Parts: sequence; C-alpha cells; structure tokens
Amino acid sequence: MNKFKYYFLSALFVSFGVFAQEQEPEQPERKPGHINQNKFKQLYDEFSTPNMFRAGSGAPGPAYYQQQADYKMDIVLDDDKERLSGYETITYTNNSPDELKYLWVQLDQNMRARDSKTPLINTSGFSGVQRASTFTSSYLKDRFDGGFIIEEVSDINGRALPHMINRTMMRVELPAPMQTGEKFSFNIKWWYNINDHVKDGGRSGYEYFEENDNRIYVIAQFFPRMAVYSDVEGWQNSQFWGRDEFALTFGDYEVNITVPADHILDGTGRLTNRKEVFSKDMMKRYAKAKKSFDEPVLIVTQEEAEATEKKKSSDTKTWKLHAENVRDFGFATSRKFIWDMMAVKLENKNVMAVSLYSKEGNPLWEDWSTKTVASTLISYSRMTFDYPYHKAISVHAPMGMEYPMICFNFGRPDKEGNYSDRTKYGMMGVIIHEVGHNFFPMIINSDERQWTWMDEGLNTFVQYIAQGDFGKLYPAALSEGHDIFPSRRGPAKNIVPYMGGNQDFIAPIMTKGLNTYQFGNNAYGKPATALNILRETIMGPELFDYAFKEYARRWKFKHPTPEDFFRTMEDASAMDLDWFWRGWFYTTDYVDIGLKEVKRYYVVPATKERIEATAKRFNRTVEELPPLVYMVEEGSEEFTEDMRTGSPLENAPTLKEYLMDNFTSEERKEIKEPKYFYSVTFEKPGGLVMPLIVEYTYADGTKEKITYPAQIWRLNDNEVSKAIASDKEIVGIIIDPDLETADIDTSNNSWPKEEQKSLFDAFKNKIKD
Amino acid sequence: MKAFKFVLLILLLPLLAYTTAHKFYVTVTQIEFIIEKQTVQIISRIFIDDFEALIRQRYDENITLDTSKEEILIDIYIERYLKEKIKIKINDSIKNIVFIGKEYEDDIVYCYLEIENIQSINSFEITSQILFDLFDEQQNIIKTNINSKTKSFILIPQNYKRVLNFN
Repeated sequence: MNKFKYYFLSALFVSFGVFAQEQEPEQPERKPGHINQNKFKQLYDEFSTPNMFRAGSGAPGPAYYQQQADYKMDIVLDDDKERLSGYETITYTNNSPDELKYLWVQLDQNMRARDSKTPLINTSGFSGVQRASTFTSSYLKDRFDGGFIIEEVSDINGRALPHMINRTMMRVELPAPMQTGEKFSFNIKWWYNINDHVKDGGRSGYEYFEENDNRIYVIAQFFPRMAVYSDVEGWQNSQFWGRDEFALTFGDYEVNITVPADHILDGTGRLTNRKEVFSKDMMKRYAKAKKSFDEPVLIVTQEEAEATEKKKSSDTKTWKLHAENVRDFGFATSRKFIWDMMAVKLENKNVMAVSLYSKEGNPLWEDWSTKTVASTLISYSRMTFDYPYHKAISVHAPMGMEYPMICFNFGRPDKEGNYSDRTKYGMMGVIIHEVGHNFFPMIINSDERQWTWMDEGLNTFVQYIAQGDFGKLYPAALSEGHDIFPSRRGPAKNIVPYMGGNQDFIAPIMTKGLNTYQFGNNAYGKPATALNILRETIMGPELFDYAFKEYARRWKFKHPTPEDFFRTMEDASAMDLDWFWRGWFYTTDYVDIGLKEVKRYYVVPATKERIEATAKRFNRTVEELPPLVYMVEEGSEEFTEDMRTGSPLENAPTLKEYLMDNFTSEERKEIKEPKYFYSVTFEKPGGLVMPLIVEYTYADGTKEKITYPAQIWRLNDNEVSKAIASDKEIVGIIIDPDLETADIDTSNNSWPKEEQKSLFDAFKNKIKD
Repeated sequence: MKAFKFVLLILLLPLLAYTTAHKFYVTVTQIEFIIEKQTVQIISRIFIDDFEALIRQRYDENITLDTSKEEILIDIYIERYLKEKIKIKINDSIKNIVFIGKEYEDDIVYCYLEIENIQSINSFEITSQILFDLFDEQQNIIKTNINSKTKSFILIPQNYKRVLNFN
C-alpha cells in the first residue's frame, strides 16, 4: 500500500512541477556566498575538541582527573557575639598532570566584607519616593561588617605560608611546587561575623526571633574552601559576586562543631559521637526512626523544643561529623529545633529523611517536610542512581538553599498555624528542589559559577517529575480539587511569556549565570522546559531516561561540563540533537510554527490541450512524455465545478493504464484509491526548529496526529509543504494541538482559522455567567 | 545611556528563584486597543505574594489572597489601588478605567481593566506606579498593542510615565 502511495505521489508531483515552471523566472541578482548557517549544522564550532580528559562520547576520558581536598576542622559558634570561628587543616592532593606552584582558596564570606565590590557592580538610582527602611540601610547605616578575618595560614609545622587575598579568593604560596600525585597540608585560622540572612540576605546566616531572644543558624560557605583546579579552567578564577554559586572539589571532612549545650545540630556527614550529644530518649527514638518507613519519628518534640528555647545554657557541647566524598559542608543549629526522621527504601539501600524546624513551621512542617524529602529521594534515585549518602535533611529557614545532605527551605504558616495553598505547595516545591540539588550539583558536580543552568536547569527538570511523583505517593498532600501537584516550571506553555518576551532582556541559556537577565526563567525555567520537551515530545521517555541516567552515572562524583551532557545525551540515544542544543541552549530563538495555506487539488482528464501544452513546455513530442496525471487547484483559473465529480482513476486514464502495465491484478486489488488531495504549507516565523506536530480532523469526525520530525525544516527554514492524498475529506488542521512545543503564537496554528477568544473576553464572559 | 541603565538594573537584581535570597519584583501589564469594539483592554499580572503584602500594609492586615474568602472586600481594595496607581490619558484627556475583576492562576493574580468608548488613539499616556509604594526595586513592564503597533517598555519609580504618539 505504501508502495502504491509512493508511485502515486511521484506521478502527481511530475504534473505539479509542470505547472510550477510555467514561467521562466527573472534572472535574480547574484547573491554573495555565505558560511554554513543551517540550523542543523553540527556544533563543532561551539563545543571544545574532545581530548584525553573528556571524550567525544561525553564520558570522562582515559586521562580524566580531579583534585581532592580533605578537611579537618574545629568550629566554635559564639551565640552572644553572633560569630563563627574555626581552625582547619586542608590536605590537598594534586591528581593533575600539572605542576602547581600555588593554591587558590575561596573566601566567600568576603562578599559581605565592607570593602566588597559587590555593591559597586549593582547600579542604583534615586526616585521621588523611597521607603525609609531601604533609605536607612542604603545611605544612613554602615554596611554589615562581614568577611573573613584570616588569623593564620601555616604549614603543618606551624610555619607561616605567604598568601595574598584577592577579594573572595586567596592565593597560598607552596614551599615547593606540587608534582602529580603529591599531597600538601596546611592550616587556616579564621573567624567572621554571622549575617542576619533575613535582613541582610545571603545563602546562610541566622534568623532572629525576638521571643526569648533566639536564633536559628543555617551555616554554609563558612570556611575557606579549596578552589577547583581542572582540565577545563586551570584554577577557577571567577570571583564570588553573590548571586552566582559555587565550584568545589570533592573530599572527606572531619568537623567538630562546638555550640551552646542546649542547641540541636545537624549537618553534612555522619554524627560520630551520637551517644555524647543525644539523651537516652533521643537514642531510643532514633533507633525507632531507622525502622519507620511510613511516618517520621520525633527525636525532639515540639514540647521539648519549646521548653528549651525559654532558657539559655552557658555550657557548650561539641557535635562531631564525618563525611566522605562531599564537595562542601553545611550545618544548622538552634535551641528552637524540633527534629524528626524517617527511613526511606531505595532500590538497593535504606537512607534517612530528616527535618529540623521550629514551632513557627508547624503544623505544616511536622506533616510534610520529611515525607517530601523521602519522596524526592525516591524519584531522583530512579531518574539517576541510588542516593549515595545516608541522609538528607530539610531545615526550616526563610530561603531555599542547598548543601550536601542538608538544605534550607522556606514555607511558614501564619501565627495561628493557617497556611494557604501557595505556602504549602511553595514549601513542598522548594524542599523537592533543594533536596534534589544533592544530585545536581552536589554529586554530579558541575561548575555552578560558570553554568547556572547545569545544576538549576537539570534539577528543576527532575523536580518537575518528582513533584508529579510526590502527588501520587502522597495524595493527601494535595489540596481539594487538585489531582496533580501544580508545577510552575516544566510544562511547555508556562515558558511562553518568557520566550515570547522582549529580546532585549533575554540571554541564551549558555550564558554565565551572573550575566543573565531574568535569572529564574533563564537558568531554571527554560532549561527545565527544554529538557521536558526533549523527553516527552522529541525523544520519548524511554530513550531520554536511559541517556539522562547514563549522564548521571558517568559524572557521579565528577565535574561535568555542558558538552559532556550534550554529547552523552546523543551518544546514549543515537539521536543527533545538535540542532536542539543549538536552538534552545545557544540562542534566544523561540518556537512559532503556523499554517500558511491549504490548497485542494482535483485529478482532471488528460485532455489533448493539456498534453500538448506540457509537451511544448518540456520541448518534447507528445509521444516522448511519460504517463502523467493532471491536477487542478480548487479556485484556480482552470478550475471548474464539474472537476469535483468523478474519481481520480476515472478522471485520469493514464493512471489506469500505468497501473495495468506495472502491477499484477493481485497487487491492484491492494491498491487504495484516495479521493482527496491537498497541498498543505506550513510556515515558521520562529527561529527554533521543532518537530511539526499536526492533527488532521476528517469529515467523519476522526482525527489523526502526525509528527513530522524537526528535520523537515533542514532545507527550508521558513516554510515547508506536504502533499496529502486521503480517502477522507479533511475539515480541520491544528498544529501542536496539545501545546507541547512552547509555540509563542498559536493564532496561526489552525485551519480553518479559529477566531481566538482573547483572555480578556474569556474572562468577561466568565464573570457574566 | 538611560536604556543601558535599565538593562543593568534588570541584569543585576536577582530574580525570584529558589536559591536566591532576593525576589525579583515585577508586574506585567498588557494593553490592547480593540478598534472594532472601541475599547482598551488591560490585563495586569501581579505576583500574589507582593499584592497580598501590599493590601495588608495599605488596607487590611487580615487579608489573605486566593483563599476564596472575603473576595468582595479584596476586589474593593484592588480596584481602589489600581485606579490610584494606573493613570491613562488618551488624546490628552484622562480616561476612566473600569475594574472588571480579577482571577488567580498559580502565583499570579490577573487583574482585568477596561476603558470604553475610545474611537481612535492618537496619543496614549500611561502612568503605572503599582507596588512602588512597597518595593523600591519594583519594575512594571508594559506591553501595548495599539493601532496594530506593539511596544514594550519598563516603568520604574524613577521613570513611571510613558507617552506614545501614533501620528
């Protein structure tokens, strides 16, 4: 049958061609030549050349290496002075083939120092009216006195090491250059004033509670950390300006943290002195929690936490944590903390989901925080690999920020404990997002400072899937009337306002995070949506998930670059996706595909005039012509109403003869006789190439959806046509009927043209009812 | 130089995003002149959180948006506020803006406003000071579609008015 269709169409096209070439076109002015501007051009110019460190497949190459930084730290929190001090010993291992003359250490707290340059790159202006509070903090008060005080940088024998601080980075001179495989240990003694992250902002700090004069500390970027040295960048040289996040080296941590004795503390790593810091009751509850897979078990109850926060201990307690193969360390501590835990079953192991929150977070937090953590670990493990650490903690703090095994999340009911859907879904969404960051970038350790989208975009994409899962695992978490978790980022249609917006304020995804406009849409929304479209519309979940998992597996506990991701997705799926990466990630192009016109054709008899006219045009004799089928466009000059009658075979005796000569009678029985012929022209005002998804509606009410792969645009980026021979009359055509491509203008998506009701009129009508 | 400043301002203000400490304060107002209906249709999209904070500070501490409670009272506040903060002059005369209603979607409240009986537009002046009394960093993006010409610009506290001429 297909075979016939093919012959039939090729016959048709001969005749089309004949009519199309009727007039000799005017000789156009000769255009200048050009380089390859095809949307399907390979990304060789954009990608770095594969090498021994990073293979063309997207996997780590045979000479791939990464450095290691191990830390031993003693940390003391001074709750009265809101000050943190530490003494740390870093052991750095040079696994690179290069000789290192110096080491670079990151001093992120210096972004908050009084001489920080961050305020200087932020533009400002006066307006007629300004809020007194902003005016005061901007112009009347001194800036918060933050930043590291570095008291000592020394080798393990206590001899001072020459060092130089360049803003948020410190260069430490090595006594002798480090060769491949060598280790070097050195000490840093430091302290800094902790910021109030609610008032002054920041990704760590404390929140102050007037009642009982208490604080919840969520502490991170709190110690001088090794910068990354890699095959891609050499020493990381991008300073910390505040918005851009981090690039960090993997290593093992032994951290002793001394805090007021009545504080509850948890952080990155295993607690190694649990018996010293837990009461007997807590030990019992902890044992119970490790076996509870359905409900969290309270280690510290609200009643206990409320009693503790009313007094203040003058004693201290030291919590000892040990973490292996982490890229960073964070912790949270307060006397206000309620603490619960629950076990989570993954494919091959059990881990713990943990929450730390104050009474201000309840009842929302006791109900949903730990369960949200558990569901997230299950979803992300399915999409990547079993969560390799032993726990994941969600801490109640008004921000959203992630560190290995621990993250800080917002979502607070009002004073009476009531909360809106927005607060609830916001809290669940942020927990899923931040716990998800354990995978991207904590374990699949991309360089956040260079490529925000690599952790935020990939993570927001998996978050979308995990939110769907969460709603299914815990339907009780959804509000009445909701049967799925409402996701803001992921569905194609939600990115339309951004991608269709003012081009002056859009940057390609492949832009350094600090330099993007509309950070949330650029680094979170668009890449997440692009991957969602890639998964659901272009590759299909089976191919996509395999390749995505392969990327995660290859780069687990390593440092991937964007190319490693792009290449792996192609390598593991046998799909050349260069056109997709180019359009979605390297440009600000948008999707706009439309229907230009639909023409109907009728097969007409091969009259003497037609044959002779054709022969003349081709400079052939009538006898030399191959068998031809003649067609006339509805509404054209040649068209007459009587052409509507008769079947194609009746109207085209040549076709009948051709069939008789070339097919056996058996074969002819198989032949279908289409009665309706259309030429459909699609146009593409948008720059992005995408599959052309078309739904045809027939007169009998049936519908057929055909997806023409994106490659249909490879030879003409503006418009393409399809000849359609059908045995049913087509009464309607819609492009992208399920809104899965993020088409920014759907007013050109249907034939016959549908009068689109404006949002405004739709609303007006709605309120009339 | 002014345009450049705009760009930088947008660039450097952290956007609403999970891992950023500061929110990006922005509203989007779409204005369309439907000549066949002789009407100017206006849709303002405002983050629910921001609008709620405003209504609480300005009018009523006890209001929570999007809970299906006290929606009539909320409508009164929204109408009063928007009419005060959005001013439109067409062909040099101040026009009366009718508040049609509002609806919530995700984290955004859509406010519908209309100016009726407009035969033609030669000049269009808009002032938008929505949320400027609450956030210094507030930016109001205006998108217009008037006489088949689309324009998009940003109003900020230092520059809250724009005149469009169609002659």
